[in-house]
Amino acid sequence: MPLDIDRFAKLASPLQRWDPRVKLFTLGIFVFSVALLKTLPVAILAFFLAVCILRLSSLPYDFVASSVKWIIFFLLPFFIIMPLSYPGETAFKVIGLGFAWEGLQIATLIFIKAVAIILTTFSMFGTARFDVSMIALQHLKCPKILVQMLLFTYRYTFVFIEEMRRMQIAMRARGFVMKTDMKTMHVMGNFVGTLLVRSFERSERVYKAMLSKGYQGELHSMVRFQSERQDYIKSALILTAASLILALDFSGLFLPAKQAWF
Amino acid sequence: MHISDGILSAPVLTAGFIGTVAVAAYTLRKLDLDDIPKVSVITSVFFVASLIHVPIGPSSVHLILNGLVGVVLGVRAFPAILLGIILQTILFGHGGVTVIGVNTMMLGGGGLIAYAVWQLRHHFNIKKKEMIFGGLAGATGIFSSGIVLALSLVTTGEEFIATAGYTLVAHIPVMIIEALVVGACAAFLVKVKPDALAGQLPPIPLTTPAAEPIKEAPQATDEETPK
Repeated sequence: MPLDIDRFAKLASPLQRWDPRVKLFTLGIFVFSVALLKTLPVAILAFFLAVCILRLSSLPYDFVASSVKWIIFFLLPFFIIMPLSYPGETAFKVIGLGFAWEGLQIATLIFIKAVAIILTTFSMFGTARFDVSMIALQHLKCPKILVQMLLFTYRYTFVFIEEMRRMQIAMRARGFVMKTDMKTMHVMGNFVGTLLVRSFERSERVYKAMLSKGYQGELHSMVRFQSERQDYIKSALILTAASLILALDFSGLFLPAKQAWF
Repeated sequence: MHISDGILSAPVLTAGFIGTVAVAAYTLRKLDLDDIPKVSVITSVFFVASLIHVPIGPSSVHLILNGLVGVVLGVRAFPAILLGIILQTILFGHGGVTVIGVNTMMLGGGGLIAYAVWQLRHHFNIKKKEMIFGGLAGATGIFSSGIVLALSLVTTGEEFIATAGYTLVAHIPVMIIEALVVGACAAFLVKVKPDALAGQLPPIPLTTPAAEPIKEAPQATDEETPK
């Protein structure tokens, strides 16, 4: 799984050129409207919209696929559980359990919506540097303290991943193999404990270093945002699409995956 | 452990956001200036540690450790878990933007309850109480998260009752593993760095402190910022 989501932020595309503040706001609304969809045809439409937005961002296919395949893997059980556990009438029996088409429909709806939202998340955060996205969030009235903590956590995640890899290599070199037993759990507990002790000491050094550079609870950034008419046109287009799919969903043209879903 | 986008209904999602904002606002107010870098750096350790996979027979589960977050950070566990969830959403697309609220209530609430369980250790005077209560805290963290997850599924619709049941059952092995790992970790920390644990009582001084430690230089205040 790639952790540096912003590694392709430097590519030139309509999404990368979009003012991050406007982009996060617009796509955020798009994501929420997709999450509220109830009918399968509209969800498929929303999925294609999400794919189109992602295509505009010119993010490489492999980069997106490597993350999305895990999500698909997590969502697959729904295709088995939902049809077999759906209350009400069943179409036929599979190993003693009733199979309901409505259940399969719900599973498909969930799957399509989830993948559409994940693809949009990539368009949101994969198309600008992480710190720029975070500062844009701060401009969108996200609490300052949260934004600061996110930036810190993100930065030190890479440090500790390296640290963890070194410790794992050291453990393997001493012949440690993970098994399902008490000893492994004990060793893993100590492993996490060691990581924590190291992080405590590091966090104290980090804090002192920051104080000595004049930290008073504010982060100053060189990032300046500028939105032009183009930014608002893009935003208007996507907001119109979002309200259209919502209107189409509520219009009753298509049958919801299940009556009285809410 | 988290719920994906597109499953829960709008009222459940909204309830998750309202709950998260309320608890986060309350716990964030408890953070001091020096807590900001510290909690963030420690959060990144938990984030990294949750990438560790522990084998269970032929398959494996990844550590969640929300109980340990409660044991180490106390009340500050909630904002820490909120950070972890947001990062996971942004970096992996796990969960999703719309379920940040529900997922934080689920795991962060579990962390807070785990902290409450962890604090109960002061009432007991037994050997290895850190290991026992650490283990209990680890198990409670997962258990209460599982309950919240099941509840949010059931309140979304009755067709999810079976799914909720399966997820609860699937949590049992995770609970046992977390209990063992968090227990071992708490026992390790109490030996190696007791002040890393939350809610530790101040050590009883052996002798009266003869010399006061040199007072730290006053930190920069607003008036004396050099321009």
